[in-house]
Amino acid sequence: MKDLLPLSLRVNGERHDLLIRPWRTLLEVLRENLGLTGAKRSCQEGQCGACTVLIDGKPVNSCLYLAIEAQDKEILTIEGLGRGDAGLHPIQKSFAEKGAVQCGFCTAGLILTTKALLDENPNPSEDEVRNGIVGHLCRCTGYFQIVEAVLDAAREMRSEGRR
Amino acid sequence: MSYNLRLPRFEYLAPSTAAEVCSLLAENTGEARLLAGGTDLILQMRRREIKPRFVIGLKGIRELAFIREQADGGLAIGGMTTIQDLLTSPVIVEKYSVLSQTAAGMGSREIRQLATLGGNLAGALPCADFPPALITLGAKVKLQSRQGERLFPVEDFFTGCGQTIAGPAELLTEIQIPSLPSRSGGAYLKFHDRHSMDMTTTGVSAFVIWDETNRVLLDVRIALASSAPVPLRARKAEASLRGRAFSGEALEEAALLACEEADPRTSWRATRDFRRELLKTLTKRSLQAAWEKAVSSPNGGKS
Amino acid sequence: MGAETGAEARDEYNIIGKSVPKKDAWLKVTGQAEYADDLTLPGMLYGKLLRSPHPHARILHIDTARAAALPGVRAIVTGKDFPGIKYGNIPTTRDYLPLAIDKVRYIGDEVAAVAAIDEDTAEEALDLIEVEYEVLPAVFEPEEAVQPGAPQIHDHCPGNVAAQSAFHFGNVDQGFAASDSIQEDLFETQPIKHGMLEPHACIGVWESTGRITLRASKQSPYVVWRQLAMGLGIEPGQIRVIQTVIGGGFSGGKQEAMPMDFCAVLLSKKTRRPVKFVHAMDEVLSIGHMRHPMKIWLRTGVKKDGTLLAQHCQLTANGGAYSSIGQFSMYLAGAMLNLPYRLPNIKYEARRIYTNNGFCGALRGHTIPQICFARDSQLDMIGEKLGLDPVEIRLRNAVQTGDTTANGFRISTFGFNECIEKAAEASHWREKHGKLSKYRGIGIGCGSLICGARLMGHSASSAEVRVQEDGTVLLTTGSTDVGQGADTVLSMIAAEVLGVEVDNVRFPKVDTDMTPVDPGTFGSRVTFWTGNAVKLAAEDARQQLADIAAQKLGVDPKELVFRNRHVFIRNDPRQGVALKELVRWAEFRLGKMITGRGAYAAGEELIDFRTGYGNISPAYTPSACVVEVEVDPETGQVTVVGIWGADDSGFPLNPMAVKGQVLGATVMCIGQALYENLIRIQGQVMNPSFRDYKMPLATDLPKLANVEHRNVITRDPAGPFGAKEAGEGAGTGVIAAVANAIYNATGVRMKNLPMSPDRILCGLQELQKEKNGPQK
Repeated sequence: MKDLLPLSLRVNGERHDLLIRPWRTLLEVLRENLGLTGAKRSCQEGQCGACTVLIDGKPVNSCLYLAIEAQDKEILTIEGLGRGDAGLHPIQKSFAEKGAVQCGFCTAGLILTTKALLDENPNPSEDEVRNGIVGHLCRCTGYFQIVEAVLDAAREMRSEGRR
Repeated sequence: MSYNLRLPRFEYLAPSTAAEVCSLLAENTGEARLLAGGTDLILQMRRREIKPRFVIGLKGIRELAFIREQADGGLAIGGMTTIQDLLTSPVIVEKYSVLSQTAAGMGSREIRQLATLGGNLAGALPCADFPPALITLGAKVKLQSRQGERLFPVEDFFTGCGQTIAGPAELLTEIQIPSLPSRSGGAYLKFHDRHSMDMTTTGVSAFVIWDETNRVLLDVRIALASSAPVPLRARKAEASLRGRAFSGEALEEAALLACEEADPRTSWRATRDFRRELLKTLTKRSLQAAWEKAVSSPNGGKS
Repeated sequence: MGAETGAEARDEYNIIGKSVPKKDAWLKVTGQAEYADDLTLPGMLYGKLLRSPHPHARILHIDTARAAALPGVRAIVTGKDFPGIKYGNIPTTRDYLPLAIDKVRYIGDEVAAVAAIDEDTAEEALDLIEVEYEVLPAVFEPEEAVQPGAPQIHDHCPGNVAAQSAFHFGNVDQGFAASDSIQEDLFETQPIKHGMLEPHACIGVWESTGRITLRASKQSPYVVWRQLAMGLGIEPGQIRVIQTVIGGGFSGGKQEAMPMDFCAVLLSKKTRRPVKFVHAMDEVLSIGHMRHPMKIWLRTGVKKDGTLLAQHCQLTANGGAYSSIGQFSMYLAGAMLNLPYRLPNIKYEARRIYTNNGFCGALRGHTIPQICFARDSQLDMIGEKLGLDPVEIRLRNAVQTGDTTANGFRISTFGFNECIEKAAEASHWREKHGKLSKYRGIGIGCGSLICGARLMGHSASSAEVRVQEDGTVLLTTGSTDVGQGADTVLSMIAAEVLGVEVDNVRFPKVDTDMTPVDPGTFGSRVTFWTGNAVKLAAEDARQQLADIAAQKLGVDPKELVFRNRHVFIRNDPRQGVALKELVRWAEFRLGKMITGRGAYAAGEELIDFRTGYGNISPAYTPSACVVEVEVDPETGQVTVVGIWGADDSGFPLNPMAVKGQVLGATVMCIGQALYENLIRIQGQVMNPSFRDYKMPLATDLPKLANVEHRNVITRDPAGPFGAKEAGEGAGTGVIAAVANAIYNATGVRMKNLPMSPDRILCGLQELQKEKNGPQK
């Protein structure tokens, strides 16, 4: 049985050459091979969204995606969105400032889905925001401050003209 | 009950054409599974319900992801077309809105990004949403193997819960939808407890062709999800409506018939009685929505 | 979305009363927060637990040979590798073992554990462990479990009555005799899971020196510390528990030592390597730790003007296979029946029954949401019979500040009237009630909560505040942030007292080697108990600094103001010294570390749990919630279209955080009201998945414009800056609010949870049948 396969991953703008087992999910490889633990292991069924990353700008549940299939794709994780020193992305800032972060376990996935959402639709209605985040469970906030944060980030990004 | 964090071991194969897939399937009959979007197979593997020796990945087969208008006005959709692609495709939104409606109600943005139309059909789960919609559109499924191609009406495709007519060495490559006549419209309505994400408790797709001249229903097709081991066509209900004026009474009758034809089961998820109540309601509402679309469709105004 | 704070623009405080973003939010939004599963230690192994497939069975033999021979497996442990000492929360009901020895008592009960070089190998190894069971008859319903001849689940407990609580205050017979109207109903509630997104996770290290370190997602690290010591048969001093960032807890397994914790450390001892355990989510949803499902029989007598005279409650809780905190759970439900309405005569009898199901314990709200669901649903029924508006009947009976309840709760502050009025006002109750379109309804539900409890064991909190030579503050307590914002609020208290910014306060995570011993985070105790301790500690530090500054400046310490990291004379602000200069002076020249200490124990009174009498908490919080729903009469589906709540949290120290807590608790209870249900058939959990254990999503909730939270400010004299708990109490009335709204919309009175579409549809059909008249 063939075991280790070569995989070239582009994550947050950097290339990584890895040898991985074919049954590894993208979530596992990001966390364990690359130390990018922002994406979380939670339900591992595509229900909670805590593992969400962007693949070529689109949000996917990385727990359902075999790492080997991510060859040649552009992957964005939460770590690629902004750091304290380089400045927070407006979505990160809004989440932090609007009370959208409590325990934080759902946060990374939500922020990335929000980025994809606002990239596609810079001026979403509240309904569009709510529909856009049904792939994310949050047990702490009840979603209200999250929805506020997304709308706030959208306003901020429109006024800055940035993505 | 096993509580696994990891997937089972397997060998991963990444063919680049449909023909290669068919060869691999033929060479490894019984030991290989096709991985389309992964939204079902990955779960089944993690739960150890399925432990294939080979996993054949289909994401790299570009020839399988397409939405093509045909010369005769119909549509061909590649098996690896994602649900998100269906949702956002201009031709589907315009001409086959029942499919974008069905797509909109399915899962989440993240799930739709991965889940495929072929996967939704080939998985043959009784709760799958696309089979009823495609049945009412009169769609066909194309299967490819080393022996060639076969074409089946979608309604003949399913043989049991999780089972289809496809052989172990066959690949579902394409879904073909005929062009739709004017004054026709389709709808798919489903029910589940929460407002999003849930498995469908019961779903009803209706497609009607409206005879503007005689003011009657020229043709009606009704198909049900989660009402039997396979997606079910409610033929008696259809028959009761053909040639009839569209009225509340007609709808009531059709709904009752659909209810009787269906064979929903009681499970811990929902009782038979509740599913039948839902069937009645959803049949009426789905017919209503389909009819409204038909009446206001192009080549003529609303009557 | 509206939020009345009354405190935002206040000049009274510099920091208290302002909305401050959570201190660790920036770590979380950048993916840098380290939860237990994110950590690796050199040489770390991976552990997995083998669980019983049977609800009740004797363990005859465990053969681990094949598993041990699997390449990559480093060690395996079973129940016999532990000393066989039972551990648990309450001395009279300790029945936990790290791993089962003689018997398994529910599907999922832990039997063995493996440590291997990776999770794949550990999972494969589990399949190779052979356990020979003698299957025993099992029992799943409390009514059957108490019958003679029923399977006995624990040897020490014939009859399977795991816990009881009973009290009688006043005289209910007289109360009922004097009543103009008596209402009697049976309510039933379902098992609810915590549903936190972070599964339980830990890393255990047992060094060759005998020192044990457990890094784990734990709300009460010291509880775990003691329970580990007890179960391992060693002294707590040998153990160090380090709290990792907690991804939601709501009590349960994160409140106690779990088998994974014991196995992690013991496997580490055997392998001399760190061992990590992480639960899969279906595992989390299958095992014990959940809210007690209950049958609540409630009989209530009232005068015709709606005044409550007497209440008799009999409650049976399906406790599952082990006790957890269940003894206290039974007391608490009845105790809290004494609030928020005045009740002079109350009789309560509760039994918690062992069954071969997953066991129950504490879950945000504990046993109070169930009791409030029953009681506040019934209050509406009573009101309707008497022709009283739901708001009116509640105002008539509202407990007031200064009351003492029949069971001895002394109510220091209780802005309940104002909560009801504000919820009614915000929701436009008076314009809506009785005037909404068909199948649209509005309902009110109320509840209350304690602010921490005077328990028989460890209740008190302490804190230490060290002011550093750069003017920053190191604040240590033994209470944890679980996401609720304790890190921020406690830092705000210290910052306010010492005149620094919130960002100047460091709030490290709990480490039993470094932080003060503390009961931890549960029972809504942290803001009140730890907050008081923090305030006292900060004041102690300030006093030390004030004394030194006073000498330097030649004034009385009382003349000094601490603000903007400066200490200056109130009447002559130009005369002062920078805080950091003061600290350096103290440290370098006087040899004084500025370390303030504070402790809060809420007095020395104890509850007599045998009689149920006593003032369990230093303060209590009331809440009122109005919910508006739309019901689809042909499917029974409920859509919550509006939520308006008001709660008295004394003083909102951090309004944004209070709002987040209140709304979060509200949504959790909407989940219990409408969607959630852990379905067990013959002890097998059928829906251990977030797909089928349905928690509310963003599309299940009203638009922002239809949600409002209002604060009622009562400034409790015993709370830090007047603050009481916020969040847990606000959810308690929500289920009844939903039930009452559904009744208002449809005429269907739901007494069973969840109020799922199929049940509502059934109810509507029953009503229709009744309307159509009797069958011929």
